[in-house]
Amino acid sequence: MLRLIVTRISTAAAAIFGASILAFIFLRVTPGDPARLIVGPLASAKTLEAQRHAMGLDQSLWTQYRDFITSFIHGDWGFSYSAGRSVAGEIGSRLPATLELGLYAFVLAFVAALVAALLVTYRRRKEADNAARLFAFTALGVPPFWAGLLLLLIFSEHLHLLPGPEGRLSLATQPPGKITGFYTIDALLHGQLATFADAVRHLILPVLAFALVPFGYLFRLLRANLLEVSREQYLLVARSKGLTEWTAFRRHALPNACLPALTASGLMLGQLIIGSVLVETVFNWPGVGEYVVTAITRQDYAVVQTFVMLSACAFVLANAAVDVLYGVIDPRVRVSAAA
Amino acid sequence: MSSEGLTADVGSQVAVTRERRGRWERSSGLLRLAIEDRLALAGLIVLSVLIVLAVFGPLLWPQDPLAVKLSHTLQPPSFAHPMGTDGVGRDVFARFCAGARTSLIVATMVVLVSGVAGGAIGLVAGLSRGLTGVVLMRAMDAILAFPPLVLAMAVTLGLGAGVTAATIGIAITTVPYFARIIRSDVLRIRGLPLVEATVALGASKSRLIGRHVLPATLPTVLVLGTAAYGDAILTLAGLGFIGLGVQPPAPEWGTMITQGLQYALSGQWWVGVFPGLGVLGAVVGISLIGDRMRDLIDPTGTALGS
Repeated sequence: MLRLIVTRISTAAAAIFGASILAFIFLRVTPGDPARLIVGPLASAKTLEAQRHAMGLDQSLWTQYRDFITSFIHGDWGFSYSAGRSVAGEIGSRLPATLELGLYAFVLAFVAALVAALLVTYRRRKEADNAARLFAFTALGVPPFWAGLLLLLIFSEHLHLLPGPEGRLSLATQPPGKITGFYTIDALLHGQLATFADAVRHLILPVLAFALVPFGYLFRLLRANLLEVSREQYLLVARSKGLTEWTAFRRHALPNACLPALTASGLMLGQLIIGSVLVETVFNWPGVGEYVVTAITRQDYAVVQTFVMLSACAFVLANAAVDVLYGVIDPRVRVSAAA
Repeated sequence: MSSEGLTADVGSQVAVTRERRGRWERSSGLLRLAIEDRLALAGLIVLSVLIVLAVFGPLLWPQDPLAVKLSHTLQPPSFAHPMGTDGVGRDVFARFCAGARTSLIVATMVVLVSGVAGGAIGLVAGLSRGLTGVVLMRAMDAILAFPPLVLAMAVTLGLGAGVTAATIGIAITTVPYFARIIRSDVLRIRGLPLVEATVALGASKSRLIGRHVLPATLPTVLVLGTAAYGDAILTLAGLGFIGLGVQPPAPEWGTMITQGLQYALSGQWWVGVFPGLGVLGAVVGISLIGDRMRDLIDPTGTALGS
């Protein structure tokens, strides 16, 4: 077990190190001249030189890389001139909005995928299976921002059932006092039911647009796992010792089929990061993804750099944690990983 | 898919499929593989239509996708403009066809470039027993450390937004998938007795690789290629949405959807809806075909990519 943890941590560290080099090459070395971007095209050569010096661009590449990494590790992520404050502060204040959206989307995606996979594998109806498979493929083929556009067109512009792209709350609604940063939870904790209802109404469309891709992944994964597990001999044994079809399925097939879905939760974090970038702007959702998109259009490099490095770290660590956790739960994995 | 996955009597069904598969391998062909399955057939049809529009669009519909016509802005779909016109009076259908061309070309380039590069890396890593293999696979891990769109975003930003940078960015994110799968295939094949036998017969290394190792990896590479193709189209649209892909006024589905967003709430749905349908059709079409191919390669239905 210890061996699995050590191996996994060292490969994760190597991956992050490699990723930091890639990020450094693409975001610090290749773009024209970051100093010129800041001072503008009209600045004199002297100003440019001063700016280059201030940014450390006149140092050797190695020194620049070392500074890049040291300041990243120290949480000194630079100043964001598009937001007018430190990058760390701005990301910190926007994170709850993204997490609230992502959390509800994943709960929805997982529950829906599990129910759908159960329906098609337990009953084994071919038409249902084809329909569900087509829907899963569609979910995976839809650009999330286009799904958002369609949802807005149907439910907001056409049916007037739900609010348009106005962020987390209506203009007239005051945000609840901050406890968790999740408006739905904070509103309930403060007993403000009207605020809660408003927050929920604003969440529905972005959550749906966000949940499509993870639903597609999880449905396909769970369906394949359930089909595979239902052919295992221990299921035959369970049935032949007198368990009903459903009990055998629920006790013996379901847990084993869900286990590999755990591996996917690392991938899901990647989807959370991508989804946040692609969905939030559509709904003017004040989260991290919207900030990054704005920063890109305004060439606010410090923000993009931080975002790229942070997502690599989060993605790698989550995958490593999942692998280790998987080893804890399933002894077969432990044996093969240590071998 | 395949009834075989869903039938209770799995054992005999697999045997039947194996037998059928034997016949297929003798008289194969993409068309034949697809027709067997209705969903795959639908995918093939949708994809073919898009390819025809991309290739022959300018002949079939000779309107200029870039021609601004301020007297004809935001017109709903009609005979003159099957998909309407956008905010500056450009014909959305002509732009749709040009967008199809961009997406399909970029996706093809991505699959070719990353397939060849990833294949070479995987082959070398699988055959080398020393440091080279380790270093190469660590480099692949570094690329996989990023969520795909995020790395493509960083590369495109670094190289300067545009279609070439986007293609390079997407190709870089795709290389590790090919490298990993080919490496594991090579490792598997390397252990087979046929390799030992071929070496014993005195075959050269290049003959061993060219005649025995590479052909054996082909099925998995084809399936992965279809998945990579769909992902490339989606990522290109995503980059376009962020503003890093194909630069306006050049028509591209992702940027067209972004432009459509500002008209969504005033009722001009056609500006953004049609390009999204293009992305959807292309991606779903290719994945249905790829899924069918995967079933045929592995009839037990246990394989799962993604």
